[in-house]
Amino acid sequence: MYEFKNELTMSKSGFLFDHSSGQTYTLNPTGKLIFEKMQEGLDDEAILSTLIEEFEVEAHIARRDLEDFIRQLKEMGVI
Amino acid sequence: MPKQKYIKPIIIRHASAGMANKFGRPLTAIPTQRIEGIQIQELAANYGSPLFVLSVRELRQRYRELHRAFANRYPNFQIAYSYKTNYLKSVCSILHQEGAWAEVVSGFEYDIARDLGMPGNQIIFNGPYKKRDELKRAFIDGAIVNIDNYDELNVIESLADELGKTLEIGVRLNMNLNNPPWYKFGFNVESGQAYDVVRRAQSSGKVKVVGLHIHAGTYIDDLTIYQKAAAGILQFYQSIRNQLGVTLKYWDLGGGFASRNTLHWAYLPGEQTCPSYSQYADAISSTLMSIGLPPNEMPRLFIEPGRALVDEPFSLITKVVAEKRLPSGQRAVILDAGMNILSSVQWYKYGIQTVQDSGTMVEDTVLYGGLCMNIDVLNANVSLPQVRFGEYLLIPHVGAYNLSQSWQFIFLKPAVIAIEDGEVKVIKRAETREIVQAAEELPDDFRF
Ligand SMILES: Cc1ncc(COP(=O)(O)O)c(C=O)c1O
Repeated sequence: MYEFKNELTMSKSGFLFDHSSGQTYTLNPTGKLIFEKMQEGLDDEAILSTLIEEFEVEAHIARRDLEDFIRQLKEMGVI
Repeated sequence: MPKQKYIKPIIIRHASAGMANKFGRPLTAIPTQRIEGIQIQELAANYGSPLFVLSVRELRQRYRELHRAFANRYPNFQIAYSYKTNYLKSVCSILHQEGAWAEVVSGFEYDIARDLGMPGNQIIFNGPYKKRDELKRAFIDGAIVNIDNYDELNVIESLADELGKTLEIGVRLNMNLNNPPWYKFGFNVESGQAYDVVRRAQSSGKVKVVGLHIHAGTYIDDLTIYQKAAAGILQFYQSIRNQLGVTLKYWDLGGGFASRNTLHWAYLPGEQTCPSYSQYADAISSTLMSIGLPPNEMPRLFIEPGRALVDEPFSLITKVVAEKRLPSGQRAVILDAGMNILSSVQWYKYGIQTVQDSGTMVEDTVLYGGLCMNIDVLNANVSLPQVRFGEYLLIPHVGAYNLSQSWQFIFLKPAVIAIEDGEVKVIKRAETREIVQAAEELPDDFRF
């Protein structure tokens, strides 16, 4: 389970708004999906299987990218 | 239900809060899949990566356009291609097929031209260091020799004695045209040095000044520099004509014309700032034509373009060999091509094109070359979509100086292919270890 630092709103197009800082972000469709699954409370393994189900991607690539993505969210102070 | 195409997940933080988002398709995200109609992936699979690719059509077209721009404005005009820019035999030979003469700056380059079959009287021999035996051969062949310094003039005068005839020479001039001015080469006009050398040469009876040469710099996108150079050479000719009785056979305005690459310190992209061939031709010929001689008495006009002819017809195919994230959060991509084969990266902020469709969302990325050296950066900041390990990128406009200046360092040099009418020809095979070590010896005493 990931904890989000602030209240965040995501638009349909992947535009993310942080209510307390006013900071904005853009996520691509894959990033948006992962983000939504995190908000739903899924853990890494569950998110990974969603990715593999929905996209044409090999598991090891998806795993590496997911780790990279989560690290970015941490670095940006989103989670 | 078919699965969706996968693109690596990314999040981009906008530079300032509330800034407009980055949708829309940036140029780097529009894949360039083919060169001259042939799939880039297929070329890399067949000839390896990295790979230099020449569009022969574009090279011929650029020559023809440049020639036409000047020939339409000046009666007696000739291009001499600057060999140093790229002296692959095929490149020189294609340009000679189109009508170019050769401009060389060493005995080595002179030999390349002669070996290709260029007659001596279609070779211009320039440069600050020409050896005595090279000069001798050039004069015997009837080559055009532009002198750089007094020591060279002394050598040529002694050759005149040896050969028993008066030798015709051109004099390279320098003037205060740009910042910093190119004072290394030739004789200075403003200080009177250039006038003195012409007087001294004429008075000896051993040589005869028949040409004037100036080459003010490289990547000159300021047309006024050419106007000033032309005005300066014209005025200098009027003074040596009136006072020393010199009649010129030619004046040579050198090279230096820009290509559509972008310099690191440029504010606007090269595509927008690079003058057209016609603008260069106007700047030079309108000034020279004002001398008011009848067309048949006009000295022949030479130019010595390098970059402006060969930069754009070449591209480099390169492969992504790794991706990483820097502590700053910036994405880094490592390529199989480095500054060892792309020396002009010192001057140019090269454009980068994707080959595969990697999605529309771009991220600021630093592109590293594959050398194990910290300075090997090909682009410190380019907006790139999510290119991945094993995918190809294309770097356009790489034909000038990179091939002739490439260093054999850490990796072997890649192959060069040429495409014309859908046919691929190898014009330089990839280097092998045997080629690199061919001149080496390992004395027995040093074996273990
Ligand atoms: C004498 C001379 N002519 C021509 C050139 C070609 O210059 P560019 O490639 O800028 O046209 C050079 C390059 O430095 C040069 O030194």
